[in-house]
Amino acid sequence: MLKHHKWKLFFVGMSANLALIASLAVADLKLLAEINWLDVLSEGGAAALALVWLVLILHSRPTGRVTQYLSLGLSGIFLAGFQDLLDEFIRFPDAVQWDHWIESGCMPIGLYFLTLGIYHWHKEQLSINAQLRKRERLFREHRSMDFTTNLSGADYLRKQLTQTLPEHRHATNTLALLLIDVDNFNEINRCYGHQQGDHLLQSLSELILLSIRRNDLLCRYAGDRFALILPNTGRVAAEKIASEISMLVQHFAYKTFTQDESLFHSVSIGVALTSIDSSTPDSAESLIERANLALLHAKEKRRMAMQQAA
Amino acid sequence: MGHNLHTATEDVSPTYKPGKYFEIDTSFIPAHQWPRTMIDLALSRGMEEHKLLRGTGIFFEDIATNNLQLTPQQCFQLIKNMQKHSHSQEFSFLLGHQIFSAPAHPTTHHSTISHEKNNLHNSANLQQALDVLLAQQIQLMPLLNLRSVYEQDRLVIYWQDACGAETTQIFLLEMMFTALNSLTRWRSGESYPWQFFLTHKKPDYIEQYDVHLNSNVQFSSQTNAMAIARDYLHRPWKVNHSDQSASHSPIPAHTSPALEFQRGFLAETYIYLQNNIRHNPNLEQTAVDFGMSSASFKRKLKKHHSHFQAQYDLARRDLAIMWLSQKGWTNEQVAKKLHFYDVANLRRAFKKWTGKLPQAIEKMG
Repeated sequence: MLKHHKWKLFFVGMSANLALIASLAVADLKLLAEINWLDVLSEGGAAALALVWLVLILHSRPTGRVTQYLSLGLSGIFLAGFQDLLDEFIRFPDAVQWDHWIESGCMPIGLYFLTLGIYHWHKEQLSINAQLRKRERLFREHRSMDFTTNLSGADYLRKQLTQTLPEHRHATNTLALLLIDVDNFNEINRCYGHQQGDHLLQSLSELILLSIRRNDLLCRYAGDRFALILPNTGRVAAEKIASEISMLVQHFAYKTFTQDESLFHSVSIGVALTSIDSSTPDSAESLIERANLALLHAKEKRRMAMQQAA
Repeated sequence: MGHNLHTATEDVSPTYKPGKYFEIDTSFIPAHQWPRTMIDLALSRGMEEHKLLRGTGIFFEDIATNNLQLTPQQCFQLIKNMQKHSHSQEFSFLLGHQIFSAPAHPTTHHSTISHEKNNLHNSANLQQALDVLLAQQIQLMPLLNLRSVYEQDRLVIYWQDACGAETTQIFLLEMMFTALNSLTRWRSGESYPWQFFLTHKKPDYIEQYDVHLNSNVQFSSQTNAMAIARDYLHRPWKVNHSDQSASHSPIPAHTSPALEFQRGFLAETYIYLQNNIRHNPNLEQTAVDFGMSSASFKRKLKKHHSHFQAQYDLARRDLAIMWLSQKGWTNEQVAKKLHFYDVANLRRAFKKWTGKLPQAIEKMG
């Protein structure tokens, strides 16, 4: 990450150097006895810490507006501290004023940009949270994240259901679970290699994420099967969302790596709703099992329809 | 098909002499075939090369030379290393989809089981594909030994440890079940109603079975097997056109040299024991027939993580199940054939082998 920011670091280093050279040119060194070592330690420490923060920020963040603000701010604070530190070793003649300007000018400017940066960072985090929202509800667990799609896996799905289902037992609204399976997915792997297949899954997951509501949760069940939790959703609404997703996928022109070829896909979707009858409450397993069964029926129906059409 | 079982029931058959076999440390598995597919998959999932190859004695550079041959032991270690990956549960299934498939993708040509694939891929129906699979199993998947047997209206394919796979057997079974399921799905254009039977208990990652094996799986079964109704054997498959692309890069014949053996040591022992059941085989006689001392034979079994009694029990158990469920023999007949003193002893042994009493055995399950 740091190599994207080498110009920023170069600029900071150059500025500090210039300040040092300019100071030495106009002023004399203090005698050893005149130096207040406590001040050296505190002012030097502040400058050094500002530099550490700068490097950490640059190391962990991609370039962009927020990073620019943060690095500008920290650079300003560092330069102010550095000039302050030089004061401890160098006696400036009264006629020279610019050292004060660096000291007193850089600090407020630096603090201003730092504040601006942190404010936008906060906004950025909120928007990232909003994006992640459809991939995770209630809790975060990075270990269950799937390598291919960055969605959570079946384990996470079961945990989420186990946590959510009791809430639905007393509510009048049902929870819907959709299992979404890509038709003929293995053809893609066979014809274009499994990396292409992985990429298709990733694209489809992004596509589905775009078309679901704020509180819905998308997981990757296994292979080419996605699981979608729709809290507080009845059958009509769930089937509407299912048909929306299947329309969306049908119109999605997926581009392969090598050729300028568009591939079109379809999905089969199995829908299961929590039972309203409170005497037989659903467990995560029973709900998933019913959704799988519904999916098999949907696939069979599709096959029959294809045969009739042919 | 299953000739070994049928000859075992004919009293006039001569003593079965063991054939040549490979051992857990015999180098003969071409590394650039399915092991390469396995390595590529793990690497593409972000696994580090040194972690993947640790303890296998394989050097990555050697695989590219296309003439490296691995021992079963090295393959087992490779699988164990792969299983340390945090998302390893799907690996066996993903591999299953790949190993019998023929990608037109030029960069992956090394990764499939080449040479033999043309036959598998051009099969006109399931029966032909299975014939190819049985005839070429030493090239296609030597680590599991398979036998196919007609049982009433269905064909059952039994999969068995060939040379001491231990814990990696589940991985291999998942891979091969998926491979056959994927092959029939692809070539027939429809999902075949395979039934899958596995001896291990239902795993946590049941979703992989749901997706890749269509949920039709019975765990904690007596044997590892897959079954299909006989009707499906001769349903015509579509003509495969995609192999034209594969045929312009023919694999030189020397990459799959004729091997002098047909199956692994444990599989050969199993077949020997079943075929000679009427002689009531013991360790001493078996060792003699295998051309070594009892101590050497014991050592060899131990090297393959087994012992004589385990192999003998396995052979007798499978015979008992077959005779009871397929041939409808009485307990008395089975006890006599298996050299039990009386029916009570058979019952006790049978309960120990299967967890059930003989009368509870109907169909396989």
